[in-house]
Amino acid sequence: MQKSRFLPRGRKDRTMVLVDIRETKSVKAADIFLQVRPGKDFELLTILRAMIKDQPISDAEVAETGVSIEALQDLVARMKAAKFGAMFFGMGLSMTRGKHMNSAALLTLAAEMNAFTKFVAMPMRGHGNVTGADVIMRWQTGYPFGISFNRGYPRYNPGEFSTVDVLVRGDTDCVFVIGADPGATMPQPAIDHLARVPTIVLDPHVTHTSRLAKVHITTAPAGISAPGTAYRMDEIPLPLRPALKSSYPTDEEVTRRIKEAIQAKPDWMVEGPQRLETQV
Amino acid sequence: MLRITGGSVYDPANSINGEVRDLYIADGKFVDKESCDSGRVIDATGMIIFPGGVDVHTHVAGGSINFARAMTPEDHRRTQAFIRTKTRRSGLGGMAPTTFATGYLYAGMGYTTVNEAAVPVLSARHTHEELSDIPIVDKSSLVLMANNEIFLDLLEEGETERAKQVIAWYLWAAKAYGIKAVNPGGVAAWKYGDNASQLTEPVSGYKNVTPGNIVAQLAQIIDELGIPHPIHLHCNNLGAPGNVSTTLETMKHLEGRRAHFAHLQYHAYGGDDWGTMRSASVELAEYFNAHPNMTTDAGAVLFGDTVTITADGPWQHLLYKLTGRKWGNLDVENETGCGIVPYTYKPSNLVNAVQWATGLELLLLIDDPWRVFMSTDHPNGACFWRYPEILQLLMSADFRKECMACLPANIKNRITLPEIDREYTLYELATIISAGPARALGLKQKGNLGVGADADVVIYNRNVNIAEMFGHPRYVIKSGEIVIEEGDIRETPDGREYIIKPSFDPGTDDFLQPLFEDRYCMSFENYPVEMERIENPHLQDCKPQQ
Ligand SMILES: [Zn+2]
Repeated sequence: MQKSRFLPRGRKDRTMVLVDIRETKSVKAADIFLQVRPGKDFELLTILRAMIKDQPISDAEVAETGVSIEALQDLVARMKAAKFGAMFFGMGLSMTRGKHMNSAALLTLAAEMNAFTKFVAMPMRGHGNVTGADVIMRWQTGYPFGISFNRGYPRYNPGEFSTVDVLVRGDTDCVFVIGADPGATMPQPAIDHLARVPTIVLDPHVTHTSRLAKVHITTAPAGISAPGTAYRMDEIPLPLRPALKSSYPTDEEVTRRIKEAIQAKPDWMVEGPQRLETQV
Repeated sequence: MLRITGGSVYDPANSINGEVRDLYIADGKFVDKESCDSGRVIDATGMIIFPGGVDVHTHVAGGSINFARAMTPEDHRRTQAFIRTKTRRSGLGGMAPTTFATGYLYAGMGYTTVNEAAVPVLSARHTHEELSDIPIVDKSSLVLMANNEIFLDLLEEGETERAKQVIAWYLWAAKAYGIKAVNPGGVAAWKYGDNASQLTEPVSGYKNVTPGNIVAQLAQIIDELGIPHPIHLHCNNLGAPGNVSTTLETMKHLEGRRAHFAHLQYHAYGGDDWGTMRSASVELAEYFNAHPNMTTDAGAVLFGDTVTITADGPWQHLLYKLTGRKWGNLDVENETGCGIVPYTYKPSNLVNAVQWATGLELLLLIDDPWRVFMSTDHPNGACFWRYPEILQLLMSADFRKECMACLPANIKNRITLPEIDREYTLYELATIISAGPARALGLKQKGNLGVGADADVVIYNRNVNIAEMFGHPRYVIKSGEIVIEEGDIRETPDGREYIIKPSFDPGTDDFLQPLFEDRYCMSFENYPVEMERIENPHLQDCKPQQ
């Protein structure tokens, strides 16, 4: 692990605390493991928020979380004594009971810890270039995901316009999948819809989704035989340099050619210039 | 080819003050009459002609504004939506406009060049990707240097010659146009929850490095490398009551050297705390007027909603504590940082009212329009598309009086604005929004309607309503192409990106690589932005001083 002026011994100068509902493989890498009772993340985070500010908490509340008061007191002392604290969280927090409320509690805890020492929090992203998609959607549309363009401009409503919701409702008559395998992870009604409508998949491999798609275009794998940019979890862009050549086209090339073919067709949007209105 | 006839031309770069002149355009440049014998003619009789606007300090692309977009979906929903057509991409305006909309909105008010003022080298690739998605306008960017660990270490060891090579290397690695210094030493200290508030006190973790010598050394290096734009400086203690003493001291550290002071409004306060805060624009402007080595941009504030974004992480944490609103923080490894907090400036709030007055006072009390430029430090003081409101305030003392009636009664003795009668002329306005910032950036082909310059020009209908006149030009022409006509977006060409290549010792790579591998978490080869990543690059001269 990276050594630095302030942490000259690298990993030895760092303390890693793992919080999970069960002993995972990561436990071996951690200095401290806290086993929280399933569905009690929000409660645990709220108790920590109270403890850092020396607010009263009851034994019963602590007992409910499955973590002992001694362990929590030790954790709070370590957090306050740290020079720089970082909290990473993933879907185990954001997709279980409480969902976005859990994420909000964790982010608030990180913000509040800055009254004592430097603290940050960062979501752990999924595999592939999820962060890159999120970053680009934000600069082009203002929103990271869950965007509808059906009025000709970007609108955002997770839960309504997110891919899974659109598919489950059966709101699309065509699906274009790139760099993802929803057929492996989405709920059955969404998968049924993928199979029902023309689904087009761009992927270097055969996937669950490509098997139920009407069209599968094999593309060159990014980073192996296609160049590009991938955004790291902390939104730092890294160049992808292909080591091999591929006889398959890149995702970018296929998408561009499909776009050109669509552009050659009559447009469904009303044509004409747009006035620059007074901004509010 | 294009001819523009009969308009009153305001071209400060060529000392033309409202005279009726014809302009001739061919191949994107102004040419003489003989070289333009066909093509469209715009009859501009009775209209006003300015060179295209140049924004010397704005935040339109990169990790921080993109974080701000993510944090403010509630604002996107209430703002103007740009609807997709075959030639135009969709997008949203508002506090942190999307990239395509940014180009449409800037061009829509007659701006044709923008300078993105804060780019970490580590994420410069991202900034360039966003800049290439901003249509119409030409762009340049400044790279953040005053908190870079490798640079600060070299200063600590007194290795100034090596530091110069390293700065030049970083600048080229980022494919940037100049150097920005934000809260020198303070952002580095913020990694450990500290700040740097005294110019002569060592920065946390160092014995010899002080904010004062970071600033002086950077300015010296920039001059020696011959970088066209001087050090672009965000002083220590931004926003704090009484910070005028820090600002004046910083100016004294830079005596005899070129320097651009960013968003001066945020560095021009007297008083001891929030309760006694007052404008110190008079003493600051007095010193500034007497020292021709400096330029500045206003960083003016307008009342209303916005989102504040700055590399000044410790200040943003304070602002979060003051407001209790959303707070985003990004630490960019050992280079810099960034904080984001949505903010509402209210006329009833005494501090905000002082800030509003201070920005206008600086614009009015600094007597040389070639040295003070229009800016709101977008989106910090207000969004860039509100510039026309500020132009109206500058041109009309009566309008200022009207606005001052809404300020709290106890603001008397804290501001000077009521005593200032100055009203800007159109010639002075053309200087502060175009000719001046172009000259400060070292972009001779911009802010200039002379033969050989880029044909970026704005044509306004005369209108007693100044804000409306400047907010809705009749025509905007970029590189000889009509992009806005009667308020409609006609064309959306791609703009250029200005970059420079300062010369540096070819051994700098070998010097940096081991340091880099020790401190960074990406590989050395992946760090510099490749030239082919820049869309429409345009290399400007950078010649070292003898
Ligand atoms: Zn700024």
